[in-house]
Amino acid sequence: MSVTSRARTIIWIRRTVQTMVLAGFLYLLTANRPADGAAPTAPVDLFFDLDPLAMVSTWLSTHTLAGVSLLGLLVLGVTLVFGRVFCGWFCPFGTLHNAVASLRAQFRSVVVRTEEFSRWQRTKYFIFIALLVMTALGAQWIGVLDPFSLLYRSVSLTVLPALDIAVSSAANGVYLSDPHLGPLHLRDLTEPVYRWWQDRVTATELRVFSGTGVIFLVFTAALLLNLVRNRFWCRYLCPLGGMLGLFAFRPLLRLTSDPAVCNSCLKCTLSCPAAAQPEKPGEWLSTECFGCWNCVSSCSNQGLDFQWFPPTRKTSTGDVDIGRRRAMASAVGGLAALSMMRITPAANAKTFNPDLIRPPGARAEPDFLQRCIKCGLCMQTCPSGGLQPTWAEAGLEGLWSPLLVPAIGWCEFECHACGQVCPTEAIMPLPLPEKKQVKIGLAVFDTTRCLPFAYGRECIVCEEHCPVPTKAIIFEMREVAGTDGVVRTLKIPRVIPELCTGCGICETKCVFKDQAAIRIVSANEDRHPANQPILTGGGMSGDPYDGGPYETTESESDEAKYGY
Amino acid sequence: MSGSTRRDFLKTSALVGGGLMATDFLALTRAALAADPLPAMAIARWDEASLADADLALAAVGLTETAIAALGGMDRFVSEGDTVWVKPNIGWNRRPELAANTNPDVVGTLVRMCREAGAGSVKVGDHPCHPARQAYRNSGIAKAVEAAGGKMVYLDQKRYKDMPLGGEFLEKWPIYLEIVEADLVINVPIVKHHGLTKCSLAMKNYMGVIGGNRSTWHQNMAACVADITRFMQPKLTVLDAVRVLTDHGPQGGNLDDVDVRGIVAAGTDIVALDAFGATLLGHKPEEIGIVAAAAQSGLGTLDFASLNPVEKTLL
Repeated sequence: MSVTSRARTIIWIRRTVQTMVLAGFLYLLTANRPADGAAPTAPVDLFFDLDPLAMVSTWLSTHTLAGVSLLGLLVLGVTLVFGRVFCGWFCPFGTLHNAVASLRAQFRSVVVRTEEFSRWQRTKYFIFIALLVMTALGAQWIGVLDPFSLLYRSVSLTVLPALDIAVSSAANGVYLSDPHLGPLHLRDLTEPVYRWWQDRVTATELRVFSGTGVIFLVFTAALLLNLVRNRFWCRYLCPLGGMLGLFAFRPLLRLTSDPAVCNSCLKCTLSCPAAAQPEKPGEWLSTECFGCWNCVSSCSNQGLDFQWFPPTRKTSTGDVDIGRRRAMASAVGGLAALSMMRITPAANAKTFNPDLIRPPGARAEPDFLQRCIKCGLCMQTCPSGGLQPTWAEAGLEGLWSPLLVPAIGWCEFECHACGQVCPTEAIMPLPLPEKKQVKIGLAVFDTTRCLPFAYGRECIVCEEHCPVPTKAIIFEMREVAGTDGVVRTLKIPRVIPELCTGCGICETKCVFKDQAAIRIVSANEDRHPANQPILTGGGMSGDPYDGGPYETTESESDEAKYGY
Repeated sequence: MSGSTRRDFLKTSALVGGGLMATDFLALTRAALAADPLPAMAIARWDEASLADADLALAAVGLTETAIAALGGMDRFVSEGDTVWVKPNIGWNRRPELAANTNPDVVGTLVRMCREAGAGSVKVGDHPCHPARQAYRNSGIAKAVEAAGGKMVYLDQKRYKDMPLGGEFLEKWPIYLEIVEADLVINVPIVKHHGLTKCSLAMKNYMGVIGGNRSTWHQNMAACVADITRFMQPKLTVLDAVRVLTDHGPQGGNLDDVDVRGIVAAGTDIVALDAFGATLLGHKPEEIGIVAAAAQSGLGTLDFASLNPVEKTLL
């Protein structure tokens, strides 16, 4: 078999693998629904377990292996041998970039200048270093730029809801207008499709997320940049690409070129999505190459090929000089960013944001932020749709981390899915009975709105929906004068703070939809003793972040999940 | 709500009106043709002495079959090819033992009997307070219905249409189109306690066919429920008291609040059935605002005994 036809076969295999992995990614995303009512059954966090960036950063920021999947080591091992094939063969975000980049020729002429190596490609290493310094000092910001997090967050919080709106609008339009020709109804065609869509893809009522415009813009921009440079994101920005590039410093499988047959036609340069300099014999850049084999296939003279080398041999690679000073500057930049994020009142337990309702099992805030990679798995799985991405609520450090917005949806009593799917145990995988005990906030009445208080009208919808078996919202009979002057004996609701878990269904179901008359505040949350106004016999810890009740759970669950 | 145009409105009203007239006409014809007047109400009880040892799933099936048979069989209500909507209470993401939702075996049996009576399709669905997928599954109802040949329907936010209730209190409300379009709606509530209204029974179960801001109904529950009941024109109501929830309703969550009673009642007078249901929770029917108001506006009788309910006891 000639080199060219072998390369073509390999490219064909690569495309198949890429398609299947992307399909697998999307399948696991749609499977991320609490199937048995309490948690999803598929391994929905698989991609994040494989993500070496998430692995290293979680380990660095928490200084522990608890909740850290070691599967990422596998990817690092593969990179040491084959180079950045992860980017070229596996990464679903990379595949999406490939797809968009393939449209590039439709919009502009592809010229050699844009496909040659640019020193700006070092940016991804600087980003990686800066983020790594931040995580080492405890601020996990990797998730904002990690490709899996970015892709998952964007698809589940923006693309899927947009598609759902489109599909359901079309299906409902057909259903309600019922166009038909005699006995042939169009809805008989659309209804089964819509049913399939609901059962297999969304598996939930329409859910929408607040503040996702920026998430969508970042995602769209990352994809559109492919029209400027082939795989712009992967070449210039991706911190995981940067990390893997460092591990691909001297892979065992390297590109070789035969200067004797090269006629400098630069077909290989044009075919290379990574700008890895295949056209320069001996200066091919292993740290940039995605191992896609396009160049081998493109060479008319069969002058390029991948060959095995012992790790000791230095030949056949160029060098991307990151530079010690630039690396230092990146580290200092990371430090500055960290300081900027940390000089806030909330980051120093001076204040607690009443709206920052974290999911049940979320660790104390600093610990939580050290782990949360802002991937959106918890938001995707939440059956009520109440888990939303933060914007400013948790400061810049907590950007796009999950918070419960009870005006949108509540924490379902018989569900612990968010903790089960969280890839880094920022939300701990509490067993359902334990999760039901966790206080994430407290319901408080706005008596200027609440109907029995303010208007002397019957209501207690909150009491009806309170899921605590013996009710954390009770009522007492009291005589109240209505706005019509008539005195009635009404059921006046009250909250029992010892029982209220802050699940928020009372706020979701309250008759007031602009601002509920009963609202959840973060006060009384188990994870922050300094934010607990209610004195109990259990006493209190002096550490504002000593999330007492979780301590034992953590080691138990780690043992159960990882066997150590 | 979905901005429905005047044209939609007229179309829907015509459709609804036409559908209702057609079924009324059929029912009248059938009643006229019947030799003996069929009973209006039947109560099937499991023998109290053996209730503790009974297999409740089997008991629920037997009680349901017996109650319907005593009314003259499902053929009395279902015609060949009919689309039937069975409307249980699936309000909550709760297991069957907790008696927050209708007993799944009662629902499944009704679905099977409808199929046997020749129904073209039997749909089951509710507008739960909890997420529908979880509630349908955890209640055991989805499994029972699918095994019996019925179809679970997840209600779609956009398929509620404003409909003229013409009630004594409410003029209009968004109601689920597919339910109104069905040839027959079988109302299958569970008997349970309710914090605001003391009891949640058959008429209150109609809150599962409406959309909009349902919570507001709490401000005048009796009048709203009476209006929706009148609009729905109940034909067949099956009251599930296999288990009843005695406290912390309507969603419960505590086995201590559940009483096993082993009763299924069925009938054509929804008020009478609710009155009977109220007695099962230890109330006089007239003490329950919803039931009293419905009787007062002529939707049925509080005095269920006056209907001479057929009583059957199973062992």
